[in-house]
Amino acid sequence: MVHEDYKEMIPARALSALDAAEERALNEHLENCDECRKELEEWQGTAATLAVVADPVEPSPKVRERILSEVRKELATPEVIPFRSTSRNVWRSFGSLGAMAAVVLFTALIVGLVVLWRENRAINEELAKTREFIEMATTPGAKVNELKGTDLGAGATASLAYDKSGRAMLMAEKLPSVPRGKVYQLWFIVGKNPPMPGKTFSPDDHGGGMLKDQMPKEALDSAIFAITVEPEGGSNAPTSPVYLRSFEVN
Amino acid sequence: MELLKAIAARDEAALAQLYDRYRVILFGLLMRILNNREEAEDVLQEVFLQVWRKAEDFDEERGRPFTWLVTLGRSRGIDRLRTLASRERVAEAGAREAVEEISDAASDAFKSEQRGLVNKALAQLPDEQKRPLMLAYFDGLTQSEIATRLGAPLGTVKTRMRTGLTNLRELLAGQGESFGF
Repeated sequence: MVHEDYKEMIPARALSALDAAEERALNEHLENCDECRKELEEWQGTAATLAVVADPVEPSPKVRERILSEVRKELATPEVIPFRSTSRNVWRSFGSLGAMAAVVLFTALIVGLVVLWRENRAINEELAKTREFIEMATTPGAKVNELKGTDLGAGATASLAYDKSGRAMLMAEKLPSVPRGKVYQLWFIVGKNPPMPGKTFSPDDHGGGMLKDQMPKEALDSAIFAITVEPEGGSNAPTSPVYLRSFEVN
Repeated sequence: MELLKAIAARDEAALAQLYDRYRVILFGLLMRILNNREEAEDVLQEVFLQVWRKAEDFDEERGRPFTWLVTLGRSRGIDRLRTLASRERVAEAGAREAVEEISDAASDAFKSEQRGLVNKALAQLPDEQKRPLMLAYFDGLTQSEIATRLGAPLGTVKTRMRTGLTNLRELLAGQGESFGF
């Protein structure tokens, strides 16, 4: 496709009406084309005017209260201690020296990360968790996948380690706080099937989160992992957009 | 926009002010998309919390706050609609919930003038151009889905959508400032 072809797609993109493959192709083009990016912003301005056609409706006053209460909670929370950023997951197998080196490097990184993760927690608790995560990650055949925050969970990251039996452990950081009555929930997505629900967890005051789960066996060979915000107790199907997700199929 | 700058500087009162200014129009949009008060209120809350966390991303060089907020709100609304549709549509089409009367303050905040302008412009579009726009914007349908819904060839739908939005832009040309709020 040439520049003019992409340009023709922009009005539909402003209405988010492109089919998935077209949208992916256009998004790639937009990364390198200032002219088309600018044009998209203009078309989005036109599309946004359609919003005023909807009948104006007054929301419940409780929504305002909930938003401001959440904001106050965030303002009262001290700054999160930044984690050391993790390198891209290079786990493959234990079959080569290179992979072994990656294991050692990754293990060292995890130790550092975990220690920083909850510096204010008792050291014994930290070490126990660290040991458990490392044991999990270094079991022969184990894998580690990284999850990154979407727009909603921007800045958040998580590592999910799991062994051949499906025993899994997730460690997350820089998670946005969730509204009262809501928790984070892990999902396993295989192909085009509906997401399979995992367990729920609540972030701590510093945006850290940890979860142990048993992966469905269908997800062991090929899955995308995602995290959404759900009502306490979890959902059978996601009810919120994705906050974090993995980008490589395991 | 000063309010968004203040929000980026963690000014809670500025967020409250922004909410008071836009809640009615955004909630109306979310109700139109989701047709369910509880879901729409939940998304409205998500949208303003995202504004709180992302206000620093707003770049006034690149667009108006109105466009930024509405694009964000509509995008979250459509995301939620698609999630719900993957289970079951919240309510049958057409069974719209009763719209409560809006308060005086809300009426003041909502500028009916802009609504009149857009409705007038839409009324000038042929139905074949208007329908794809409305199905995409409020129902979150893709061009292929619209083609199936309308029983029209995909290429025709693409052309009509592009022409419709182009015509809308031309009809609203010169009215841009009205949407700066």
